[in-house]
Amino acid sequence: MMPAMSTSRRSFLRTTGLAAGAGLLWPSWAQADPPGSRTPAPVKPPSSADLALLSASPLLNDELLAKRAIEAAQRAGASYADARLVAWRRERVSVRDDHVSDVHRSSEYGLGLRVIADGAWGFAATPRLDPKSIDGLAKRAVSAAKINATLRRERVELAPLAAISGSWVAPHRVDPWTISPKHKAELLISATTSALAIAGVAHASALVDSQREEKLFLSSEGARVHQLMVRVRPQLSATAVDRRRGQFASRDHEIAPMLAGWEHVEDAKLVDDAAQIGEDAVRKLHAAPVEPGERTVILDPSNLWLTIHESIGHPTELDRALGLEANFAGTSFLDPAKTGAYELGNELANFVADRTQPGGLATCAWDDDGVGTERWQLVKAGKLVDWQTTRDQAHWIRDKTGDERGHACSYADSYSSVAFQRMPNISLTPGREGYTTEDLINATDDGILISGRGSWSIDQQRYNFQFSGQYFWEIKHGRLTKPLRDVAYQANTVDFWRSMDMLGGEGSFRLGGSFGDGKGEPGQSNAVSHGCPPARFRVNVVSTAGGKG
Amino acid sequence: MATLTKAQAKAITDTLLGAAMAPELVVSVRDRSHGHVRFARNQPTTEGDVETLTISVTASIGGRSATAVGNRSDKASLLALVTEAEELAALSPVDPEHLPPVGSGTYLDVPGHDKATARLGAKDRAEHLQQALTAAEAATVELAGFLQHHEQSAAVATSAGAFGFQASTAASLTTTCRTLGADPGSGWAGIESHRIASIDTGGITALAGEKADISRSPKSLDPGDYLVILEPQAVAELLEFLVDALDARAADEGRSWLSHPDGGTRVGESLFHTSITLRADPADRANPAAAFTDTGEAHKIVPFIVDGVVENLVRSRYWADKTGIPAIPRPSSVLLDGSDVDLLELVRAVDRAVLVTRFWYNRSLDPRTILATGLTRDGTFLVEQGKITTAVNNFRYNDSPVKMLRNAVALGRPQRVVTRGGTVMVVPPIVVKEFHFASRSDAI
Repeated sequence: MMPAMSTSRRSFLRTTGLAAGAGLLWPSWAQADPPGSRTPAPVKPPSSADLALLSASPLLNDELLAKRAIEAAQRAGASYADARLVAWRRERVSVRDDHVSDVHRSSEYGLGLRVIADGAWGFAATPRLDPKSIDGLAKRAVSAAKINATLRRERVELAPLAAISGSWVAPHRVDPWTISPKHKAELLISATTSALAIAGVAHASALVDSQREEKLFLSSEGARVHQLMVRVRPQLSATAVDRRRGQFASRDHEIAPMLAGWEHVEDAKLVDDAAQIGEDAVRKLHAAPVEPGERTVILDPSNLWLTIHESIGHPTELDRALGLEANFAGTSFLDPAKTGAYELGNELANFVADRTQPGGLATCAWDDDGVGTERWQLVKAGKLVDWQTTRDQAHWIRDKTGDERGHACSYADSYSSVAFQRMPNISLTPGREGYTTEDLINATDDGILISGRGSWSIDQQRYNFQFSGQYFWEIKHGRLTKPLRDVAYQANTVDFWRSMDMLGGEGSFRLGGSFGDGKGEPGQSNAVSHGCPPARFRVNVVSTAGGKG
Repeated sequence: MATLTKAQAKAITDTLLGAAMAPELVVSVRDRSHGHVRFARNQPTTEGDVETLTISVTASIGGRSATAVGNRSDKASLLALVTEAEELAALSPVDPEHLPPVGSGTYLDVPGHDKATARLGAKDRAEHLQQALTAAEAATVELAGFLQHHEQSAAVATSAGAFGFQASTAASLTTTCRTLGADPGSGWAGIESHRIASIDTGGITALAGEKADISRSPKSLDPGDYLVILEPQAVAELLEFLVDALDARAADEGRSWLSHPDGGTRVGESLFHTSITLRADPADRANPAAAFTDTGEAHKIVPFIVDGVVENLVRSRYWADKTGIPAIPRPSSVLLDGSDVDLLELVRAVDRAVLVTRFWYNRSLDPRTILATGLTRDGTFLVEQGKITTAVNNFRYNDSPVKMLRNAVALGRPQRVVTRGGTVMVVPPIVVKEFHFASRSDAI
């Protein structure tokens, strides 16, 4: 049921009496996200940044070794082989209160060789890039594949693919490695000291993580793909302590990590927002406890992205649904046999998967199988219509979805990791009515507005979830009345998405994301974003306060 | 592929220390040869033999510090790494909490390297997998799982004279068996050791298969407070939140459950059942763990909780210096003492309880009470009159390890559990009263 829109944005601001006295009532974080990131994805990845960045790459010096690895694998009996030269650079600059606490840079470089022999996968990887080591690697990978083939019940089947040659550099204006750690630390310390200046704030911390992932992919079919991705993650947090009452509360900034350069950190204007982060931490300390029970909640994009990730993202991974992840990440409540028929939400629930979203952490031009990235619908008007797939999974679902070559979801998080199906950016399509967050608040008689990322937990088939947030406002009669604390919402995935009765328009679409989407054994980490407007649901609200210990 | 010998590792740390212009340097080297096979749908899926090398250099100049990490061991790369760390340090602000590196000292002698485990390869993995497949077939269940093993050489050295070297091995097996069709069930079992000989693949798979079988047709049970029997894996998953909270600085600063409302900490207070003793012992013969940290601090035998009383907290070197109490690094091994009572004897001793195999997706909810949430998974059963009578639906819990150790009714025989982080954990099954299941989960 779609409630009527009651008041405009202007009347919302006027009716919320606290707005003038207590600073910003509802944070208008001074974030200017990467170009294109606030509109749902195009079909093709954003145009490449300067390809000259690749021409001086040290990876090119080892391209012949990568070819040698593939040829040695073929000679040893591989029917298919691909080699990935992968160079990672990571940097963390973190500060606590008024001082730097960590300046850390790491680099990792090596070659991973993946083969198919006798219809089974084999893999070997090393950072020791010399001909002898590479020849040994090829023999090990092929020999292991042949051993495993004796225990396989079905052969690995790769979808046919035209070999591609291409290069792509993720759009970014400022390479984070050109900014000195001192400058980074000083910016962060400016933010933490402004948060600390708020009475009641005992500690503040901040950090910036930067990632530079470069890879050169070659295959025995003649593919050659060279790509470079730059990602940054700014964070700021304040902790208020009331020693007398034995109470403390933390407030994290809601800025999202992005596929972008240092400009995203500058645009985040952490220093401008720091005082409010501090004030929020103190207000959280003194906020009213939440009354548990069935409630209406409005979830801001800074909160809802993670709920999408867990309740829609993971269950639409085809490998999970087929049992390939049963031993760790789990399976799925969704059944591939019901593709095209199963309703997991109402007609407002439209989810699009893509690795082309500007600013999206999982965005690239080709996946780690050499398949071109794209945008496709997973859930249409509440109905499950497609899956996340890779080149070796397409044949499992082709009769249901017409999947020809997989949806380019293959990713390995290191030279030393085996590529497998990882989550693309998956986003909730905004509503057509063009509602704003304020419209949703105004249309709500009794509810809670939840923003930011708190605690999150969901079962291994993705039915029962419980999520918290960073900040919670009670809503009464269309107005924000007071901050609440210790709020979590619990629901069953299908009940939750069927209960969605109002969502924001395209103007309210924002990306949230994580560097640490975990899956696989050994565990691998995937960076992924999810876009959405704010939306309204019915859930079971629980208090996370616990008994006093 | 053999990992670095002590002499080879020392050659690397000597080269790094020798190249330094900075007055203070802390270096570490970790060389690992890792093998694994994943399996699902009754067959191997992916596998790999992987070499990784991590060389870390932390340089400090007048309180300015930075760390550079690389994975190449040729001389030019080592020199470049030292230069990078020094240049970064020079560009970094002064850290008022900086301390000089750890000096020379002794480390516990930990015999944790097993030759048979170091030599494992694809053929050995396939033999184990064959045993698992045979056991799964006998139980008519679908098998998924993961077998991994590694050999590792770790070294640490500082400009203040510390040097440590430790060679180790590890192996682990986890299996999830599922009965498919109209009446699905799922069971899990796993084991971890530094010796492959301790991994009974057929036995572990059979246990997971049996649990899958009896987890079919779960009886519907309402959420609420229950007497529970937590198996060691479940105990460890909850206990990790408490280990994380054993931090002196957070307690002193009022940011912890261990903060005393009147200032100071609750060290010395009896906070748990008197049967609770939690300690670290990296040199435990059956469960060897790391003897030193990446910065050269020694992991020692530490009593954290004795007979329910908190005795020690983790304390960084800076906080130790400031408070005048010795530093204790975050432990590499966590041992929760128990009794010599078998799990099934615990089962026989209760009238009505929920038996929990393991928890999943555990997350902290409130650091003030160490309240956590998560779900039961892969084997949740009802015990009635001393017998497992039926499977029950899975639950979400909202509860705390503090309450678990306070409401402990009985402890069983400790056993090594499977961790993903590298900390060795050996804990008993525990019977806990009034454990709070907050909602149902339909997951199987």
